[in-house]
Amino acid sequence: MEGLLWEIIKLVIAGLILMIISVLHVAYLTYAERKIVARMQQRLGPNRVGPRGLLQPIADMLKLLTKELIVPYNVDKPIFYLAPFISLVCGATSLALIPLWKTFVLSNINVGILFVLALSSLSAYGIVLSGWSSNSRYAFLGGIRSGAQVISYEIAMGISLLTVVLMAGSMNLQDIVMAQVHSVFKIYLIPQIIAFFVFMVSAVAECNRTPFDLPEAENELVAGYFVEYSGMRFALFYLAEYFGMIVMSALAVTCFLGGWAGPFEVPFIPCFWFLIKIYALLFFYIWIRATLPRYRYDQLMDLGWKILIPLSLANLFVTALIKLII
Amino acid sequence: MSFWRKVLLLEIVDGLKLTFKKMVSAKPVTIEYYDKVRPKPYSGFRGRHALVRDDKTGDTICIGCLRCVKVCPAKCIHIETEVDKAAKRKKVVKYEIDALRCIFCGYCEEVCPVNAIVLTEWYEYVGLTRDDLYFDKEKLLQNWDEFIAQQDRPYFNPFWKPRGIPIERLPKRKREFKGV
Repeated sequence: MEGLLWEIIKLVIAGLILMIISVLHVAYLTYAERKIVARMQQRLGPNRVGPRGLLQPIADMLKLLTKELIVPYNVDKPIFYLAPFISLVCGATSLALIPLWKTFVLSNINVGILFVLALSSLSAYGIVLSGWSSNSRYAFLGGIRSGAQVISYEIAMGISLLTVVLMAGSMNLQDIVMAQVHSVFKIYLIPQIIAFFVFMVSAVAECNRTPFDLPEAENELVAGYFVEYSGMRFALFYLAEYFGMIVMSALAVTCFLGGWAGPFEVPFIPCFWFLIKIYALLFFYIWIRATLPRYRYDQLMDLGWKILIPLSLANLFVTALIKLII
Repeated sequence: MSFWRKVLLLEIVDGLKLTFKKMVSAKPVTIEYYDKVRPKPYSGFRGRHALVRDDKTGDTICIGCLRCVKVCPAKCIHIETEVDKAAKRKKVVKYEIDALRCIFCGYCEEVCPVNAIVLTEWYEYVGLTRDDLYFDKEKLLQNWDEFIAQQDRPYFNPFWKPRGIPIERLPKRKREFKGV
């Protein structure tokens, strides 16, 4: 009994620390995105609030906390209140499964990849429900479009992750990382470059990021499916999007880039290589946002169904064939 | 586009290279106004209004001819004069400019025969109420003092001698004006 209680307390504390660190990461990811996109557009990002603008996310959070929470007339109140939480929870829970370093996974379940995919499918609920409950035709259309986009790209994402499972022989994320460390190529990026490409494109589409952000289109339709939300609820949707980015990057790092493994050990920071790889992928997300124009909705659906799914299926067949032969 | 260029997404890679280059090597074009840079406007910039102070009398040079009132397109100058019977001169009692109506065209400083009214190069002024920007004579003279304190002498506003008019047609004092 004593041991069990102690285990539970350790788990809760670890979970709290992980949550605080990830929320800080998300907040400063918004800052990093504004700064990096600004520099790529030859202007300065936010630089007034703290030294070099470092307190900008805190200022944003305070502003959103003190805004009036407007609830439009005739909305479906329970769903309206619930939808941001669905998005946020489904986005953020996957973080508990990612192995951070050799001996630390918050929750080491044997069907890790399946669980992550299931959670990202559930986040589609958050989008569609928020669009529908807003009682506004543009929010509704935005929600439907976004929901369709998310479920189309999930298929390609799932199939490309299946090839990793094929090569590693297990769905447990810690086992996948160990399999990569013991494999010939060290990271699954090299044999699975097509799957990595499909996964990254699908991940960008899952998070509704440019160039696939027509349902959200910050410069055109104000915010698409979460246009009727204000104040803290809007902040929750916003956080859910950035959490999605971090979770997808973490999943890509774990499955394709070798997880926490690195060429040499850094003494005090056990998760050093993991963080470096995640930061590189997040920079890639932001880089793409600053560079590419937006896809039209039909071009988007074409890409998902007619190009990515056949590509990932072909990759799956070839991998399975090679696995069978070798 | 060639097949390989399309498949390997080389166009997108070119775009990515450009933005990366911009991030690394381009200098930002933002002007960091107020903290680091206070741009100095060109000579003759039409900013805050001022009445030139006469060194001898300490009051304005204005002779009360009302030319500026008549030429102002926005009708923002209001003048009241009275005749000073002792010195047999016209004296300006009230000279007010409603800066919120003004369109900053500069006609008043072009037409004034004695170069008494001027639109200085001072652009950083605010008013918290509408009254703050309704300049009366004292305020206008004070504007002049503030402005001339930070200029090097002699100060000559280009609008005081308007171009396009042959020099013989200008009034005498305007023709021979050399600056303050």
